[in-house]
Amino acid sequence: MKLLIVDDSTIIRSRIARTLSHPKLAFIQVVGMAQNGVEAISLFAQHMPELVTMDITMPKMDGVACTEKLIQIKPDCNILVISALSDKATALKTLKKGARGFLYKPFSDEVLVAAFLELVSS
Amino acid sequence: MSDIDEKDIHSFVDAVSVYFRQITGEKAEIRSAYLVEGGVAATTFDLTGYISFSGSFSGRVYFSAPRGMVRHLLLMMKEFNHAEEQLLDAVGEVANTIAGNARKHFGSDMEISVPVTVATSDGWLDTVVSPRSYVIMIKWKQYKASVVVDIQHA
Repeated sequence: MKLLIVDDSTIIRSRIARTLSHPKLAFIQVVGMAQNGVEAISLFAQHMPELVTMDITMPKMDGVACTEKLIQIKPDCNILVISALSDKATALKTLKKGARGFLYKPFSDEVLVAAFLELVSS
Repeated sequence: MSDIDEKDIHSFVDAVSVYFRQITGEKAEIRSAYLVEGGVAATTFDLTGYISFSGSFSGRVYFSAPRGMVRHLLLMMKEFNHAEEQLLDAVGEVANTIAGNARKHFGSDMEISVPVTVATSDGWLDTVVSPRSYVIMIKWKQYKASVVVDIQHA
């Protein structure tokens, strides 16, 4: 499965990519990394990934607006929101836009692996 | 005087505790939380990341740490690129995580910005924070860092 990683932090993007070396996630291949919503839409259209990890607070276009756009392009896309915004209202807002899961920062590698597995099994 | 209370400050203390526990598997010692007034300084370290608030609150929260601590945190995340821009990205991400987690207490009407990061020299925080700011001192391993909460109701 193809994965697009969207986050304005270089460290978070590489951390998510590194987690994919876990044997249970060998079926996931990173096809692009974007640092804001605008870049994400362009890379998404180019690769049409089945999976996306999405930050919320980003420059140019935030993760809520970006999630809505990506779902319009590919309604069956699995979007996992990974954000430090840990209030229920924000999680609900992204789920309403079409995201399939929400993971709060800070997260451990184990929690991220579990979140990916849950996302693809659903 | 600040118009935020002890519970408000505690939400930031909790966010700092959760961050270190989750990322390092260890507890950070929260050494003190004091108000910057009457000549008490906010301690500035090598690198500072901050988040600005808007909506129902205005102001900023700062995370300031020495380079050694940030490098050590990156190692804990298995990140071996320790270029200056990575270190700055890391302090920005810590500030972002602390602010984002604390927002659970303040509500979603409190908007938070993307992080801004600065390589800082001694005393920098004292030039930018207001006298109503709270300073939370952190000790993790042999390192000290500070979180400065400078927010008020809009």
